[in-house]
Amino acid sequence: MVQEGGPDRSPLPGTCARTTDLRIIVLRFTLPVQAKADITAPPAWVSGLQRNDPKTVRLLYKEHFTAVKHYVLKNSGTSSDAEDIFQEALTVLWLKVKEGSMQEASEPGAFLFRVAKYKWLDVVRSAAHKHMRVLHDDRQPDVRTDVQDDTEEKLARLREVYAKLDDKCRQVLDQFYFERKDLATIAAGMGVEEESIRTIKYRCMMKLRASRKTIAGDEYTDEA
Amino acid sequence: MSALDKPTFERIEAYVLGRLSADERLAFEQRLSTDAALRAEVELERENIMAIELGGLQRVLEQVRGEQVIEQGHGGPWISYLKYAAVVAVLFGAALWFIARPNANERTFAAHFVPDPGLPVAMSASDDHAFHDAMVAYKLGDHDEAISKWSALLKEEPSNDTLRYYIGCTELNAGRSDRAVSMLMSVADQSGSAFAAKARWYAFLALVRKGDVAAARAVPFAIDHPYAARAKSVIAELE
Repeated sequence: MVQEGGPDRSPLPGTCARTTDLRIIVLRFTLPVQAKADITAPPAWVSGLQRNDPKTVRLLYKEHFTAVKHYVLKNSGTSSDAEDIFQEALTVLWLKVKEGSMQEASEPGAFLFRVAKYKWLDVVRSAAHKHMRVLHDDRQPDVRTDVQDDTEEKLARLREVYAKLDDKCRQVLDQFYFERKDLATIAAGMGVEEESIRTIKYRCMMKLRASRKTIAGDEYTDEA
Repeated sequence: MSALDKPTFERIEAYVLGRLSADERLAFEQRLSTDAALRAEVELERENIMAIELGGLQRVLEQVRGEQVIEQGHGGPWISYLKYAAVVAVLFGAALWFIARPNANERTFAAHFVPDPGLPVAMSASDDHAFHDAMVAYKLGDHDEAISKWSALLKEEPSNDTLRYYIGCTELNAGRSDRAVSMLMSVADQSGSAFAAKARWYAFLALVRKGDVAAARAVPFAIDHPYAARAKSVIAELE
């Protein structure tokens, strides 16, 4: 282990301090390695959201919805409001994970609560809810900056893109990209050949591409 | 802007989904560093895929929301009412089924009818793009879209037995027996058509479904017709 420190870190020979120095050196060189081993794999909830795992979504809902519901109900909201707000917060969390901008050390419950709180305060402050009385919760810092970037704008844009798809395309693309099923499985489930699904997927994606390019002002020609 | 060909699309897709090997990824990223148009395509495809994933997430969230409502109901004061409601619903459903259950002809039809699976759709068949588009619609059960596209082609080629056969099959799948019979019988009577045997069988089944047993019995099946024995047993069942 002494060798890990390298020759330039060797203590002076024949002194009592050497043992202590050695231990310090050992600690200095082993701890970071252990710490690194702990953080290489993302937490289960992060990898679950990355692969769109419904079980992870259910677990996050089950573990963290109650706190949000409690807050919304205490601030003139209903259970339905709480559901809406929690779903929006969970969507923001999902997007952050997908973009890789969620800090590994972040605790999902705290993040969901902060985002939900900020979103509910926005609702309450809106004209339709001016009559509501808000009980501020000083226990949580106001971290509006978590979602003050272009997240909202991006989510709106993505929803707009998804709305362009017809049911047939959604049926195939959802299974391939969201559920991560392979073409053969999708084909078997729909009673068609794998090549047909591949064709449908390609054409649907090209339709989507064409519609977005049209919006952007480019001209699209279907040569495929 | 030109179209994105399928191999390039699938290459970008594999990159975005992280399905390239380390070497392939490295090569792709080297190309990306010098090709601005490719970078733009990657970003567009990445966002389109994310939009689809977001749609899926919304669906799961709605499902979970529904489950939450049911869970909250467990042990609540109104759960007993739910039980009574469930019993009433089951009884009501059974009564509805009894009233609206299919008649003997429809049951016989259902027991013998296996829809034609359609023809394979080739990716590179750009020359008969419209035909394959309709075939995809047929396979996905979009009856009206399939018929609309094939009917347009039939106007150009009125004697095309493939088109008439699949339009007839689509009408049959859609439950429009009369239209199916006329279209399928025209193919059944066309000598030399590869679809003649199947067309006769499906026309026969369409007549069974509409309850016209006399007409079904009158459909001529040659002694060596692959469906002759089955047709005979169907008539025996009905009589």
